[in-house]
Amino acid sequence: MNAVKKHAPAFFAHGAGLLKSAAAWVLRRPLLQRFFRAQRDFALVFRRFREVLDSNNRALEIITDIGEKLGGEYLFDRVYVRSAYADLFTHIANSIQSFDVLTGNRYPTLHDVFTRIDGRIRSMIEETPSPADLVLPFEDITPERSRDVGGKNVHLAEMKSVLKLAVPDGFAVSAAAYDIFIKYNGLEEAIARLVKDGEIVESERSALEYRIVTGEVPPELDAAIGAAVVRMRDRHRECSLAVRSSAEEEDGDYSFAGQFETVLNVACTKDDVVTAYKKVVASLFSPKALAYQQRMGYTPGALAMAVGCVLMVDAVASGVAYTSDPEGGDRLLINANWGLGVSVVEGRTDADLYTVTKDPEPAVVDIRRGAKELMVQTAPAGGVREVKTAVDLRERVCLTDEQIRELSRQAVVIERYYRKPQDIEWALGRDNRIYVLQARPLRMVTGEEAISSPQAIPDDGKYPVLLENRGVIVQKGVGVGRVFILRRLEDLETIPKGAVLVAKHDSPHFVRVMPSLSAIITDTGAPTSHMASLSREFRVPTIVNAENATEVLKQGQEVTVSVEDEGKVRVFGGRIKGLVDSVRQNFSRLEDLYEYRKKRYVLRYISLLNLVDPLLDDFSLEKCRTMHDILRFMHEKAVSELVESTRSSGAFKNRKTVKLDLPIPTGILVIDIGGGLDMHDGNDTARFEQVSSVPLRAVLTGMMHQGVWHSEAIALKAGDFLTSMMRMSDIVSDGESFVGYNIAVASKDYMNMSLRFGYHFNMLDCYCSENRRNNHIYFRFVGGATDITKRSRRIRFIAEVLKEYGFNLRSKGDLIIARLAQIGREEMIEILDQIGRLIAYTRQLDAVLHDDGAVERYVKNFLSGSYDLSM
Amino acid sequence: MNNYRIMVIDDEKIVGDMAKMSLEQEGYAVETFLNAEPALARLKQEKFDVVITDYKMKGIDGMEVLRTVKKLYPQTKVIMITAFANLDAAIEALRGDVHDFFPKPVKIKELKESIKRALAA
Repeated sequence: MNAVKKHAPAFFAHGAGLLKSAAAWVLRRPLLQRFFRAQRDFALVFRRFREVLDSNNRALEIITDIGEKLGGEYLFDRVYVRSAYADLFTHIANSIQSFDVLTGNRYPTLHDVFTRIDGRIRSMIEETPSPADLVLPFEDITPERSRDVGGKNVHLAEMKSVLKLAVPDGFAVSAAAYDIFIKYNGLEEAIARLVKDGEIVESERSALEYRIVTGEVPPELDAAIGAAVVRMRDRHRECSLAVRSSAEEEDGDYSFAGQFETVLNVACTKDDVVTAYKKVVASLFSPKALAYQQRMGYTPGALAMAVGCVLMVDAVASGVAYTSDPEGGDRLLINANWGLGVSVVEGRTDADLYTVTKDPEPAVVDIRRGAKELMVQTAPAGGVREVKTAVDLRERVCLTDEQIRELSRQAVVIERYYRKPQDIEWALGRDNRIYVLQARPLRMVTGEEAISSPQAIPDDGKYPVLLENRGVIVQKGVGVGRVFILRRLEDLETIPKGAVLVAKHDSPHFVRVMPSLSAIITDTGAPTSHMASLSREFRVPTIVNAENATEVLKQGQEVTVSVEDEGKVRVFGGRIKGLVDSVRQNFSRLEDLYEYRKKRYVLRYISLLNLVDPLLDDFSLEKCRTMHDILRFMHEKAVSELVESTRSSGAFKNRKTVKLDLPIPTGILVIDIGGGLDMHDGNDTARFEQVSSVPLRAVLTGMMHQGVWHSEAIALKAGDFLTSMMRMSDIVSDGESFVGYNIAVASKDYMNMSLRFGYHFNMLDCYCSENRRNNHIYFRFVGGATDITKRSRRIRFIAEVLKEYGFNLRSKGDLIIARLAQIGREEMIEILDQIGRLIAYTRQLDAVLHDDGAVERYVKNFLSGSYDLSM
Repeated sequence: MNNYRIMVIDDEKIVGDMAKMSLEQEGYAVETFLNAEPALARLKQEKFDVVITDYKMKGIDGMEVLRTVKKLYPQTKVIMITAFANLDAAIEALRGDVHDFFPKPVKIKELKESIKRALAA
């Protein structure tokens, strides 16, 4: 007996454990999950859906805020970034929780993705890199890591993984590794002392160089390099490495070509790699590299040195390929010599020169055989040596026609991918394959003078003002280029570099071309959209909601877009030289601050967007690399889940939809989720008297109020109608999911109502209980059939009316969001009555708002209880 | 280039770096410090027209900076910035004859305007 008693708790605990694992097992079975999902009540699904959207919206607002605060116009510190991010984290975590319930744990790996990105962001904020951030195999390098591993490494990794070109295997030692190396050896102060009165202090410089070369790498870095070296040896057995600089901005806008050290033919052992690593790091502070950095406007010490360790290619021949002729001409120029490429890169000998035309297929048009007296080979004891080239080799060209064409094809692929002419280092291996060793933008001789003269916007009529003070500023700056009016999304492919993109709607798809745009102007759009956060990230001058930019601006027209500040937004015809972009100047000065760049880099893991098109296969969790990606992923999948569940068998199983039979034709279906309707007769229609939901009843009362519902049609102008046709797809596809128009989900105290009238949508969500602390009203109105001016006037009308009732509101274009919380039930019923009237009255109101003055008159009338439309 | 000298004290490097860059554009001579001790030592050597200091720092904090500055140079204006939008801190600072008080993140434009007002006074 005693024994049983003693063991009982253990048994029960065990039993509970069994139940738990059984539940977990069930949850892991997709078919069962589907079954359970199918049985869920729609009201529950709907609630989870709303939770996901609410958290997501809040998260996006925080992302916008962080972007703004880190944008250069604010002094911020780590405390801010930390607390703003903590806030963001909480909202995303909440959203994931609701999302899991909503989808029945359909996406278990979401948690891993979230945790991984979160870890990276936190280590970035706290500046405590994890060992995984110190050394990265090429296969783990994604484009947003360019600060982590430098441009050169990123390009190599991309060409390998995205373009599937033959790029030798390798790993990167990151910028974070550089940071801890410098810190570990106490070199920050030595770096700070480098410059005095604008001059490099040579004694300080040489001392610093010495301290780097003789410095010690921190144990965690030492271990990480050791592990990477072992992995390389496992994969390639007999191998040696090229240890090359990959400074964070190298091979970006500035090439830094030849500024830093490359150590060739390094034995694949930890000690040799570490020694070479320090040599490369020290080269950041060589006299010529410092001079170059100063000339380019970098403060010495402002760059971090990442390093690439790449498998040496046992090269038969090597060289350089330009994908354009720097002097002009769309043809490839290829230099080649026997052996390693150093001889060509450093111009030590007279190399072969091949000229190749690109279209339609590469064709070799000229071969000039170089003297090639010297060549460089790997030395058996490590390093390289220069030797005289054997006579028979000198007299042969290095590549066959077919090899030249193959190299050219690869070069064109690279150029197309980066959308800029490229300077490519290549090698022909003994296996007869062409390897790509490096690709960077080719500096072209443009002859364009730098814009540096003082601010002056000419008003002599030479540059007509095409647009003035329209729209909402997303990103300030100046952009000069030709207008490209985007009619269809697929035309994105054909946008020339440097264009001013003008489109009807904003779209996250623009991210594909964003870095090469001069400016963006859209007719509609919101400053908190996906695109907007990308414009800020890439600092492309952007205005949204510019009304009719697509009509005013003409395809191919040269324009100067100047977005200075509120009230200082102008688009001029023509290319204005000498218009100073103070915004960009300020940015580039800021970008010169290492601290700033480092802190801002965290945005790469927060606000960038990689998931663009939900219809594509790569709209997947695996492609999520930022918090923004996660939010977008959840939003899309939550919408699908909701749509799916409206069709599933269990959604309305016990909660049938009931049509409201009202004196006005609202077409509202009610889904009663508890106490919303007073039905005992099993009918599928309900009269107003049977509506027992407090908030729903209040709103309907308002809608049926004498004289507010106008049944007569108000004629739309032809232009208005066309606008409405174009706007439909936009509204319906904006992801907000107006699922089932004219549906009211109601309980005794709660209601959520989505109403579509023509081309606009009302969404009203409210909780109206005895406890005033729980109560809220959320009202959202968007869209319309008339032109944006009239739609905006209607929004102003609504705003003015709602302000009267104490709403807190935000509006943009034809969208308004209004909130009111913590009001007592009686007062709330009165307000809901007014909102009901507002919903009914505004159905066609926009059509009669012919001028701004009309707004005021109608507001006055409405508030005084007069609902005549024909004034 | 005007002749005004501005000192910025904040234990986060980025604040000093960004302030220096932005204020030098306006022609001010700017010196930055990561903590208050060397800053106060520097103040004893030379007068600054405006001192921008963080409120909460390890060691000597913003209030003590304010008191020391006011003792040394009663005309020098002190602008306090703080990571926390802390009302008590603001009240304490304002009682202590601070020229202005900003919670971080601080809009640089507003800081510049505040400095202009400080110098005009």
